[in-house]
Amino acid sequence: MNSPLYRKKWPLLIFLLPAFAFLAVFLFYPFVQNILNSFLNISGLGTAAAGFNEPWYHDYIKMHSDPNMATALKNSLIMTGATIVFQVGLALLLALLVDRIKLGAKLFRTIYFFPIVISATALGLLFNLIFLYNGGMLNQLFASLFNTAGNLDFKSEKYFLATMLTPVMWQYVGFYFVIFVTGLNNISSEVYEAAELDGAEGLKRTFYITLPLLRNVLCTCLVLGITGALKVFDLPWVMMGEGIPMDKSWLLGTYMYSQAFNRGDVDYASAIAVLIVILGVIFALVSNKLFKQKDY
Amino acid sequence: MAAKAKHSLTHIRRQKLPQLLSYTMLTFWGITTVYPFFWVIINSFRVKGEIRSDSFSIPWPWKASFTLDNYRVAAARADFIKAYTNSLTISLLVTAAVVILAGLAAYALVRYEFRLKKYIYGLVVASMMFPVFSTIIPVFRMEVVLGIASTGKRLLSLLSVVLPQIAGNLSFSIIVLMGFIRSIPVEIEEAAYLDGCGPIGIYFRIILPVARPSFATVSIFAFLWSYNDLFTQMFFLRFPEERTITLLLNEISSQAGVNYGLMAASVVLVVLPVLLVYVLLQKNIIKGLTVGAIKG
Amino acid sequence: MKKSIALLLVLLMAAAAFAGCAAEQPAGPQEPAPAPEAPKPAEPEPPKTTTLTVVTSYGGDDGNRQNFQNAVSEYETLTGNKVQDGSATSNEQWKAKVMTDFETGTEPDVLFYFLGNDANPFIEANKVVSLDEIRAAYPDYAGNMKESMLVPSPADGKVYAVPSTGFWESMFVNTKVLSEAGVAVPGADYTWEQFLSDCEKIKAKGLTPVAVSLQEVPHYWFEFTVFNNGNSANHLDIPAAATDATGQKWAKGFEDLKQLYELGYLPKNTLTATDAETVQLMLDNEAAFLIDGSWKVGFFVENAADHLDDYKLSYVPGKGERKATDIIGGISMGYYITRKAWEDPEKRDAAIEFVKHLTSDEVVSRFVTTEVTALKNGAKPAGLNVIQQSAADMCGGVTTLVFPVQDLLSAEARADLFGNVKNIVTGGKTAAEAIDAGLALNK
Repeated sequence: MNSPLYRKKWPLLIFLLPAFAFLAVFLFYPFVQNILNSFLNISGLGTAAAGFNEPWYHDYIKMHSDPNMATALKNSLIMTGATIVFQVGLALLLALLVDRIKLGAKLFRTIYFFPIVISATALGLLFNLIFLYNGGMLNQLFASLFNTAGNLDFKSEKYFLATMLTPVMWQYVGFYFVIFVTGLNNISSEVYEAAELDGAEGLKRTFYITLPLLRNVLCTCLVLGITGALKVFDLPWVMMGEGIPMDKSWLLGTYMYSQAFNRGDVDYASAIAVLIVILGVIFALVSNKLFKQKDY
Repeated sequence: MAAKAKHSLTHIRRQKLPQLLSYTMLTFWGITTVYPFFWVIINSFRVKGEIRSDSFSIPWPWKASFTLDNYRVAAARADFIKAYTNSLTISLLVTAAVVILAGLAAYALVRYEFRLKKYIYGLVVASMMFPVFSTIIPVFRMEVVLGIASTGKRLLSLLSVVLPQIAGNLSFSIIVLMGFIRSIPVEIEEAAYLDGCGPIGIYFRIILPVARPSFATVSIFAFLWSYNDLFTQMFFLRFPEERTITLLLNEISSQAGVNYGLMAASVVLVVLPVLLVYVLLQKNIIKGLTVGAIKG
Repeated sequence: MKKSIALLLVLLMAAAAFAGCAAEQPAGPQEPAPAPEAPKPAEPEPPKTTTLTVVTSYGGDDGNRQNFQNAVSEYETLTGNKVQDGSATSNEQWKAKVMTDFETGTEPDVLFYFLGNDANPFIEANKVVSLDEIRAAYPDYAGNMKESMLVPSPADGKVYAVPSTGFWESMFVNTKVLSEAGVAVPGADYTWEQFLSDCEKIKAKGLTPVAVSLQEVPHYWFEFTVFNNGNSANHLDIPAAATDATGQKWAKGFEDLKQLYELGYLPKNTLTATDAETVQLMLDNEAAFLIDGSWKVGFFVENAADHLDDYKLSYVPGKGERKATDIIGGISMGYYITRKAWEDPEKRDAAIEFVKHLTSDEVVSRFVTTEVTALKNGAKPAGLNVIQQSAADMCGGVTTLVFPVQDLLSAEARADLFGNVKNIVTGGKTAAEAIDAGLALNK
């Protein structure tokens, strides 16, 4: 940005300082503490450390050999991929569709937002009742429609991945949808009018005008989606707590929580947190590079 | 004349099919987003025993399966007005602070070039990854030392929740706002500069009004995230008069593992006010969305 | 369209509010005002009153929450002191909060907490006052408790807490399911062989013999299968390795559990269901046997009120040296007075009075229906309903009460061991491997 307006740098301080003061005090400093914790020996959340680990990088070695960590990494990567395709992808599609229609646009914009308003605990309750083994909605439906012999265990090793992914995908589509809609509305109608005069309409308009102009917002959503998928915790925990079935459904976020609270291995949980952060930053920077944001 | 009419007829026919498809998709998704709410509401009025056997029919008030008991139990337990007030106070404060601080920071990060820019951006992304329970205890300790946390005084306790929540929301708000502000053509600002406006003036006179829908979007998310953030609230708000509505209702239904009716009623009580606020504010957002379209 | 949505929402809110308000009127006299808020009207203030901070687990949805709040109100009236009540449901987060409070110096004045290893951190840091020290200044403190039932801390062998109520673990049975399968309600002489053949009959009827969630709560079955392979004298032994006598005893216990799993006597989704789901089987008349604790009685009273007499308390089948009437139980939580309150002259008396009131015979009797207490005079619960009576009868026939051995393990070891139960029953790990893995984490 070589505009003369922004050559003098001192206003930077005023703009950045307040926000970063907050971040520094309430996030960075505690996280430094967290990094330190991953080298100590702490055996209960809230209790004092009992000296350093032996060796001090013990937890990081543990991560290498822990089969549950491998599972968690794999599942989190799957979750990230699903997020990009389903959450962001579907949200983009819906936003584009809503942008084209006139009647009912307002209604759709309002109701697509609803899932975000309900807390994850409440959603977990709802989905648990849908997938419940004894008398859940799906099993009841199947029983009456197909007269099947037994109930399906949706949390068994055959189905658990779909059961875990579906609610998480569903919940956040509305989030990205709203961001895309806001982004779409930032595109002035004059651009479209000019395009129409040139004969571009329908799909052509979408691909050659809308999407490029949405590039920045798209990049934002990808970054948010990827980082969110890596640390997601609430909904998967309520539905598939403790890695059920058989330690197969661990995610980075749920595994860390379990280690901190249920296993009391606070230092290991801290190490996992460090890993999550490093992965998140790497992925975000990579997607930024790939989708090089354009300044206008 | 006839040629033009013919052209417009095929034109219409060509548009009808994609329109139909669009509406089908949109309606389908709309049903999936509205249905869970509907489901929760009807089950909050249903007699306890019936929820698992028959949770998908409507318990009309004249049927035997209708009951107000769930609300009765929930309401008898607590001081609702106070809890709602606490929730609103916290969330509104958080939202206001986040919008102000994030806006300033996002603007600076987009427009200014400086040496440390990549690192600062990396830090912002990193801070978005920190899981809340890895930072909560050091924050608690710090606030105790500062005399904010665990004082037993209601206002201070609310403040002790507000501060970490502001920090937690800042990073994602900055990223979202960065995406939107980047889409604003810089020419307007340069013109203002030539008219003698400095960056601070530009921020308040140009960026804020133009990006109003973006700010509105961010504020809704910040509000919701703060409202539903059970973990932080649980840790800092101990005494009955400081408790928020989400905390209160979580307590009521926490061990009611099978009392789905009570849980549904709790969800309704938590969610309805927020939905109401959103629906009423929709007007402002939609209006903002069209006003925000850049002219010329 | 928007307006109608808004209108609908407002109507719903109004409906909810009406329902709530309508409910508040008939609230009986027992309904306490939100405790620290409502000041008692025009009371002559006794000379030195103070505010006491108290944390217990009688919050959230605990069955005794109402009793606790009533007792607190009484205390406030009696002494003129105010109580800041930070009680919450007992769970891992609550424990973390308590520990953090001690670490940061914001601990309460009186704390109701666990008696075993969980309390070690703050006992070792000398943050609570021992009974001996209190009795040096207040000789009749905890005078109404049996000395033999005061539990010394595993950290240094001294008694710190005044026990309130205890617990027992035994077998709940669904008599309706049993009669449907043609099985007699088990009695005091129930053996493991009879149990297996009963389960076979129940399974043949297409019902689930045992309600248990192996992935979430294998705790009770662990205790009793280990007990069945040992006796009450050695039940509390912790093995040094899976190969020593105690380790082998544990392995045999796991084998028994595995046998039940392989014979199909457990719910089909026992490895993925939550405890709430499997207990629901009992409520739905789909399962016959459930091992659970005294706290579950209230659950049945609340959720099975219309068919409460379908449920009875009986005994877990015995094997070898264990009689069916030897059960697990004891006292696991009690009231601590923190050094912070002790050294504050204003608060010391208030704290003593508080604990005295809440552990008095009268108050304890209200909390108790059938549980174990340390009271010299025993508790005098009144108005037992049919299932409570059944529980009381069961307790009456108890021959030995043994503390659960799992409470002597560290939280990490316990979590790891139970996390491996699902691997043991499916053959993924041997019992010996799991035991060794758990022991390695035991500090």
